[in-house]
Amino acid sequence: MFLQRQVPLAICFVVGVVFVFQDFVPHHDSEQLLTVFTDWGIIITGFASLLGVGSLIQVHWLHIKRQNAGWGYSVVTYVAMVGTLAAGIASGGKAAPDAQTGVMPAFGWVYNYTMVPLQGTMFAILAFFVASVAFRSFRARSVDSVLLLVAAVILLVGNVPLGEAAWRWVMPEGVPGIADVGDWVMNTLNLAVRRAILIGVALGIVATSLKFILGIERGYLGGGD
Amino acid sequence: MAMSRQVLARREVWAIIGAGVLIPIVFSIPATEVSISKGVQAVYDKVESIPPGGSLLLSFDFDPASKPELEPMGRALARHAFKRGVRVVAMGLWITGTSMAEAIVRESASEFGKVPTRDYTFLGWKPGGYLVIVEMGQDLRKTFPADFNRNPTVGMPVLDGLDSLRDFDYVVSIAAGDPGVEKWVIFGRQKHGFALGGGCTGVIQPGLYPYLQTGQLDGLIPKIRGAAEYELLLRRGHGIPEGLASAGMLSMSFAQLALVGLIVLGNVLHWRSGKGTGR
Amino acid sequence: MVPRLRLAWLVVPVLGVCGQALAQEGEGATVPLSAPTGVELIDRPNDDGKALMLLWDVMPYDAEGVVYRVEVAAGEAPFRETASLAWQGGSRFLSSEQKWPFWAWRKDDRRHLHVLTSFQAEEPDAAQAGGSRLVEKSLEPLTRYRVRLTVLRGEDSAWAGPLDAVPVGNLFNRVKLHNLIYTLLFSGIILVYIARARRRELFLRRIPGLDAVEEAIGRGTEMGRPIYFLTGRYDIGEPSTMAAITILGEVAKKVALYDTRLKVPHTYPMVMAVSQEVVKEAYIEAGRPDAFSEEINFFVTDDQFSYAAAVEGMMVRERPAACFYMGYYFAESLLMAETGAETGAIQVAGTDADHQLPFFVTACDYTLIGEELYAASAYLSRKPVLVGTLRGQDAAKAILMAAILAGTALATLGAAAGWSPATLGYVLDAFRDFGG
Repeated sequence: MFLQRQVPLAICFVVGVVFVFQDFVPHHDSEQLLTVFTDWGIIITGFASLLGVGSLIQVHWLHIKRQNAGWGYSVVTYVAMVGTLAAGIASGGKAAPDAQTGVMPAFGWVYNYTMVPLQGTMFAILAFFVASVAFRSFRARSVDSVLLLVAAVILLVGNVPLGEAAWRWVMPEGVPGIADVGDWVMNTLNLAVRRAILIGVALGIVATSLKFILGIERGYLGGGD
Repeated sequence: MAMSRQVLARREVWAIIGAGVLIPIVFSIPATEVSISKGVQAVYDKVESIPPGGSLLLSFDFDPASKPELEPMGRALARHAFKRGVRVVAMGLWITGTSMAEAIVRESASEFGKVPTRDYTFLGWKPGGYLVIVEMGQDLRKTFPADFNRNPTVGMPVLDGLDSLRDFDYVVSIAAGDPGVEKWVIFGRQKHGFALGGGCTGVIQPGLYPYLQTGQLDGLIPKIRGAAEYELLLRRGHGIPEGLASAGMLSMSFAQLALVGLIVLGNVLHWRSGKGTGR
Repeated sequence: MVPRLRLAWLVVPVLGVCGQALAQEGEGATVPLSAPTGVELIDRPNDDGKALMLLWDVMPYDAEGVVYRVEVAAGEAPFRETASLAWQGGSRFLSSEQKWPFWAWRKDDRRHLHVLTSFQAEEPDAAQAGGSRLVEKSLEPLTRYRVRLTVLRGEDSAWAGPLDAVPVGNLFNRVKLHNLIYTLLFSGIILVYIARARRRELFLRRIPGLDAVEEAIGRGTEMGRPIYFLTGRYDIGEPSTMAAITILGEVAKKVALYDTRLKVPHTYPMVMAVSQEVVKEAYIEAGRPDAFSEEINFFVTDDQFSYAAAVEGMMVRERPAACFYMGYYFAESLLMAETGAETGAIQVAGTDADHQLPFFVTACDYTLIGEELYAASAYLSRKPVLVGTLRGQDAAKAILMAAILAGTALATLGAAAGWSPATLGYVLDAFRDFGG
């Protein structure tokens, strides 16, 4: 219990307090201390990835062993993981074509022709999701929703050159451009609300950090108090 | 039959948006010029103010998922720096974006006949996320003892006088999420006080506005439109032809105006079906 | 005496003295060159000991065409030029341009300032046997540097120095004094309210999103479907992730009681390791250690969209009864929340990622906005100590609101009464960020 509770709490308290004040001590010894702890952090992060790989292997192995629904996907995961690893080792981690021969290494093929298009597709899907959500949500049901709708249309039209051109063509001389109106909506109306949320969040972060440093909140150690 | 929200289902909305993206590409319709926003102009002016031989740190903090949106601004910034004879030091905080970022820098450098380790270097990736930023603020060479191509950073000519983040004339993070621009503000600029600009996807753009307004970021290139603005500035200022971002602006125009049309249509149908009157 | 001096700073119109220098601009070209006066080489305060400051008077000959050359040498090495400061365009390199608050630096328009952080040094050239090359090196702490300042105009020149100084690291960064005060003030306020909460119970307003936790878990039990809990896209060091893990502990206790299945897919291994312990303890505390499984928490990938794709796939296949999205999110938020909504799950999100809030609000049944994420552990556990921190946050927020109102009033008054920007600047310095 002592090793599971008191020691982590003591470490959290000492390191927390030291590094709150370290930010105000510019001396090179203080910076050196930060460097040492940063190095530790980087090393721990590196080793933690082994933890992740271990979990991945275990979970998918159990799926295959028990033949859970969709266990075939676990086989695909294994094949992709081992295949990419082998290609990476064979290519020395390089994806760029050889400077002399122009030959693309195996890892380059995996990276450029599998990972890049797959990831690009996933992100591109977001545009379609946003479109369907916008179509569903922007309805003039009340005064509030009308304001939301108008702001959305201004930003959508002002964001693209064709919209800007159409606005200039329709509006008389002297009326600000729609991109400027959009900027005003974002930087004045939207930002005021955003700042209020951010101030609340920042105070929440201060309070939460303080609770962890002082050992008031121990939920992360498991088992509440 | 009234075409209600249910009738115009998700897939039909998607098809209309898809058509909006594809039509300008298929029929090669030329784009119109964009207007320049203050944030993009600020980044351009800052790069413009770096003296030849000065230094620019470009951090490619995104993965291939955001390549279509962020690669054009990465190329535009690298081209701008190389054109002006500014030394470019590039890196990335996202492991899966490493090879992509290396290719962007290498290809942009070769356009201007720049030599690796003398005119530019790609430092690569290191685990630790924002901790890498903290460590670079202490000692650049200790953080990256060798670059991506395993050239030692000690004695590398391109890094002359660049011992830590504060020695760079300008730092720009092009980011799709975390670690990204926000972490560069908090753990980089706040601590070491260097000039910092950003580039980002449209999704995280609103989250970076507060930093831009307070001056914690001195410029921001948001989404593909920002990249198109930068490309336009490069053509006007240096005669560098526009790239992928400008080419994509018309697709953006069609897709977004199609979305506006859909929203208007949705509301008309909503009111005609009587729901808008409170029935 | 000292407060009076401080007040005098506020009153002395800096623009007056600045006018003297500006008036000379046109006449400077006819004034003969002489060695710069008032030259000082000092250690730069508030730093890690890797910079020096060179100060000298604004000279009567300062005008277009005048160039100051700064030469630096480490120890007894020969002088080499490190900077060439031309008086042209808007460039004046005045001491008043140093971006520090008034309590850390006395801005002076009658003095020039150049900060030295590097110098040119000769070292052997690896590419050329026996040859050497000049490299730019950073100043090092506790090393003696000599500096010479030369002023040039056409063929004329005059110099001052050499002067020497040793850069040293400082134990306190006065530039951040206001940050330290705010840190101590807000921490103090929160601690005071925690102490108060121990004595008497404090009121906590309803948070519907958290009231729905029980409903969502009950639904999962009825339908025999799993509950998904996501801890966000930040690693363990972030407060939002810690807040999400704390909520996970409370949710896991209820899940254990209802005997429902819980799945926690992770994007960071360290978050997974900590969550594993938290869930295990929650099951033990609920009296159901037998129901705990190591498979509840599992790692998927640290890649953003691969993670989103994997979670979406699981959602479509397993059709969870409820999905909790706690912590910080980026573009994957809508992809996952829309898929969850499509599968018919009851969804509760809690995030301080303000840019993702619109997506969660649209696709989820309940959304905890910003600070509500941090209030959740107090709300769910109802522990007085945790509730006290919420009251402390509210008090701190009230102070900030008062500061915003006072600042706005002051700026408006200043504009109406025509105060000089410098006068208002003294007040605004207290709320300004000065970076490193």
